[in-house]
Amino acid sequence: MAISLEQMVSLAALAGEVMLKNGAETYRIEETMDHMAKACGASTVESFVIPTGVFLTVSDEVGHTLTVMRRVRDRTINLDRISKVNELSRSLVAQRMGYEDAKGILTSISKERTGFSLLPSMLASGIIGGGTAVLQNALFFETLAAFAAAMIVRYIAHIVSKLHGVQFSFEFLGGMAVAFCGVLLHSIWPHLRPDAVIIGGIMPLVPGVAITNAIRDVIAGDLLSGMSRGLEAALTAAAVAMGVVIILALKV
Amino acid sequence: MLMVKIIAVLLISASVGILYRIPRKLLLYVSFVGMVAWLIMYITMRLGGNGILADFLASVAVGVIAEILARILRKPATIFIIPGFIPLVPGGDAYMTMLYMVEGNYVDGVAKGMQTILTAGAIAFGIFVSSTIFRLIKNYNLESCSTDVRKS
Repeated sequence: MAISLEQMVSLAALAGEVMLKNGAETYRIEETMDHMAKACGASTVESFVIPTGVFLTVSDEVGHTLTVMRRVRDRTINLDRISKVNELSRSLVAQRMGYEDAKGILTSISKERTGFSLLPSMLASGIIGGGTAVLQNALFFETLAAFAAAMIVRYIAHIVSKLHGVQFSFEFLGGMAVAFCGVLLHSIWPHLRPDAVIIGGIMPLVPGVAITNAIRDVIAGDLLSGMSRGLEAALTAAAVAMGVVIILALKV
Repeated sequence: MLMVKIIAVLLISASVGILYRIPRKLLLYVSFVGMVAWLIMYITMRLGGNGILADFLASVAVGVIAEILARILRKPATIFIIPGFIPLVPGGDAYMTMLYMVEGNYVDGVAKGMQTILTAGAIAFGIFVSSTIFRLIKNYNLESCSTDVRKS
């Protein structure tokens, strides 16, 4: 039953790293790391999370202290993993699970390819685009075009993520592609308006996680994370707008 | 037409869920949150409220339903909030802003831009309000629990 200090720290830090990589709120990461380390028998735990890194200090009963820092670079969005780590931490705290099991499950969570592959996420993106076009009272063919434009956006995201693209390049290129689809449709069939196509196409680019996390971080008092995530959301919106505006300006 | 739009909203919310990789079992709940929010926005607009108020009320509803579902299903509330508010995003206003600005019609562009920013702000503030209320309730419960423990 003796869990060494190093093991506690590595378990909690891995959990924090996985959660931060997949887009959890700051206070949730800090609380999860605290709870997990305490459940393993730590006497005091201090954790500090910013959007680009995790810091963790754990002390055991004897008085030894260990601090680790994990730098997080590639951030994606995978809410499934967050909820899995959340459940893991709950069952660890409730003593339904030992250290070894928790470590094994956590490692498999961080490695597994969860969620959906390229084609389903392209379809989902397309449905967001087409559905938004329907909400804008679009005609049938405009809805179809919005569906196609939003699918193209997802495909661009796939390519850019393979190239380890620079931040905001995907949103910029996506905005450009969507506007190009809309303008192209309008120039081939002049009775179809590009509005609904562009509005529908930019919908999958809305930074939903960044907005939500910014708000929730600010409420929880994590002002540093809240501000930087708010800035991320604003810059993402600006990048999409710039992409669309460039194509529209070329047309005019 | 309303029926078609409701189906579109249900599909949008579920697709946002798929895009952000929420647990598959929750897709049904998520599309329900999105539909309720959109209906609140739609009805408020029909009753003559302006868009900013409608989006605010709808996003308060998103926050409240999401936090309740999060308590019941023991999942992070974020899972329900994000797909819930995406159908409310003022994409049309944002597009009109860009179009006016590109055409050099700055008066209308600035007016539309202000409306877009205020609508987006109303959505953010709605989630802010509901999350704050639930945080206060949680802290209050924690406080009363710890005093109970001390008493006993």
